[in-house]
Amino acid sequence: MTEQTVQVETVQNRQTDDAAAMLQVTDLVKHYAGAEHNVFDGISFSVPKGKVLVIVGPSGSGKSTLLRTIAGLEPIQGGTISLDGQVIETGKPGNENSGRAKRPEALRTKFGMVFQSYELFPNKDVLGNITMAPILVQKRKKAEAEREAMQLLERVGLADRAHAKPHELSGGQRQRVAICRALILHPEILLLDEITAALDPEMVHEVLEVVVELADAGQTMLIVTHEMQFARAIADRVILLADGKIVDRSTDPEQFFTDPQTERAKEFLHSFDFKRNRTEQAEEALERFDNE
Amino acid sequence: MFDWSFVSKYAPFFVNGAWMTLFISVFGIALAILTGLVCAGIETAKIPVLKQITSVYIEISRNTPLLVQLYFLYFGLPKIGFVWDAETCAIIGLGFLGGSYMAEAMRAGLQSVPQIQRENAYMLGFSKWQTLTRVVVPQAVGISMPGVVANVIFLIKESSVVSAIALADVMYMAKDLMGMYYNTYESLFMLIVTYLIILLPISILGTWLERRFDYARR
Amino acid sequence: MQGANILLEPGVFPRLLQGLWVTVWIAAVSVGLSIPVGLITGWLMTLKNPIIRFIMRFYLDFIRIMPQLALLFIAFYGIARMSNWNLDATGACVLVFVLWGGAELGDLVRGALQSIPQIQYETAYMLGMSNWQSFVHVILPQAVRRLLPGAVNLSTRIVKTTSLAVLLGVVEVIKVGQQIIDANRFQYPTGTLWVYGVIFVMYFIVCWPLSLVAHALEKRWAND
Repeated sequence: MTEQTVQVETVQNRQTDDAAAMLQVTDLVKHYAGAEHNVFDGISFSVPKGKVLVIVGPSGSGKSTLLRTIAGLEPIQGGTISLDGQVIETGKPGNENSGRAKRPEALRTKFGMVFQSYELFPNKDVLGNITMAPILVQKRKKAEAEREAMQLLERVGLADRAHAKPHELSGGQRQRVAICRALILHPEILLLDEITAALDPEMVHEVLEVVVELADAGQTMLIVTHEMQFARAIADRVILLADGKIVDRSTDPEQFFTDPQTERAKEFLHSFDFKRNRTEQAEEALERFDNE
Repeated sequence: MFDWSFVSKYAPFFVNGAWMTLFISVFGIALAILTGLVCAGIETAKIPVLKQITSVYIEISRNTPLLVQLYFLYFGLPKIGFVWDAETCAIIGLGFLGGSYMAEAMRAGLQSVPQIQRENAYMLGFSKWQTLTRVVVPQAVGISMPGVVANVIFLIKESSVVSAIALADVMYMAKDLMGMYYNTYESLFMLIVTYLIILLPISILGTWLERRFDYARR
Repeated sequence: MQGANILLEPGVFPRLLQGLWVTVWIAAVSVGLSIPVGLITGWLMTLKNPIIRFIMRFYLDFIRIMPQLALLFIAFYGIARMSNWNLDATGACVLVFVLWGGAELGDLVRGALQSIPQIQYETAYMLGMSNWQSFVHVILPQAVRRLLPGAVNLSTRIVKTTSLAVLLGVVEVIKVGQQIIDANRFQYPTGTLWVYGVIFVMYFIVCWPLSLVAHALEKRWAND
């Protein structure tokens, strides 16, 4: 146990000094008011420009909370968050109830956030959802914003639904709109919080396709997901989060997913049964049933 | 300025008034619940013709004021031979008004029971009657209850209007005392206290039921 | 049946309509003033300050537990005497309906504001919107949809409650009706039935469309 902790810390130290990092998180501490333990206790990692970092881990390991602290939606009690070499957030103990970070608008729009539950605004149509922030926040011309919105919709295959209301769309379509809404602000980094977790299986693919295309285009992303196949396909770096700690990390996702090096990674990936597909599992189950 | 001796002297007036308010309310509410049950039953069972009559009644009852209903009953109808005393008018008026509100609350309860519960009962071989009495109604009652209690409060409050047809309820007493002695503050004070004594316990019961219902749903 | 002819007497119907106009006017002014009062009240109800919370709770509960007629008496006889405020009967009615409508609407506003999930505020924040922008462009439009059916229903309740104004001596549709009945007592003994019948129908004609609108709004926005 001790041995493993030591090993993790050395790995951490190495990655902390990432010169080309776009997003740099150092010794992050997160604590909830009244809670006995810290949610995170000294988490450090970085995301280089144009790269994709995928955070995996069991439910309740704090993946989403981590994303939310980086987004500024939750206060941090220790450590720093830096963007482009500038420290944008410094943790202070005792600020558990101080709410969202007071980030200026220009800084907030450098982070694009997509939530599991899409969170389209039901009072606007698709185009309205996408063009709202560029017009209101970035003071861009309506026509120009709409032109870019249409290009984005074209890219995700939804140009024909520009005037649909959110409730008329399927989950997968809504999520693609939510991605466009984040992209139109030209965020430096895109934060994707389990964006396929609420979707029916047949819609997962259409959303992930869009994300893969973004990765190919060089969009920096920080992704929390339960889709291991997807994580394996898209990740440049992987972090395994458990109990508020980084228990494994890798810059070689292929190896991480096919030949995990640590016990924790093996244990975690085993529950996803990577190498076998469903039919094989079913056949096995039937065999067992026949034998009994 | 505030004359306590006036209060103690005339408090019995308000006790009498409270009895009148309660008398009218209890019978009016009983009639409203009965009417509500019948209407909700008709609407749920989708009985043709009766269903249309019910919805016409509900629209009329909900979209006209009790005072006008009472004037029509008490002053209007006697002219063509339907003579009733003020108490009867008040009870019928309250029942007519409250019936639609009660029907609404009960229907909400009945509709909240999912169709699949009925299908389940059907697959278990229950008769229609058994399904209704053993499966649907027990679930519906809990959901209807807060709405029914809210309507009870509403109807007791509405009963203050019967003072307009010379029934000596709480409201009437206050008006009477103010007219006779000009002791405005004392009369209004007793008016407020009497209504609080009647309505506060029911209101607390209503809040409690609503909470309990909320917990049950979680 | 010839009692019905009372309605055909010259001037009777126009006078009833004038009375109805007074009724509708009191109701419309009350509803109109209730809207700002309700918005502010609703916003105050969402605040966490314990003193404001207590005051708002007391206000809402008192208004809700007292019969409207009792409130009218308190306003007309009590407040007018206490403050030397020369509040006439119409003014007392509007005051009570606004306090009552404002409290009820405030509760609807509070419910609607609190029903908007926190994550919608967060989404607006992440898109860079200011608090005011997210309130005006994201939260309020959604809240309005949720409270509008209830608010329209509330306005029918206010119209119906306007009938109580007659008991304070306001010359509105019922009072006009009574005057007509009294003036024609001997000529049309059964006129009472017809005049009250017409007033009954008049109230229905004013309130029913509002109920239909509320119902339609409820249905239309149920699945948004």
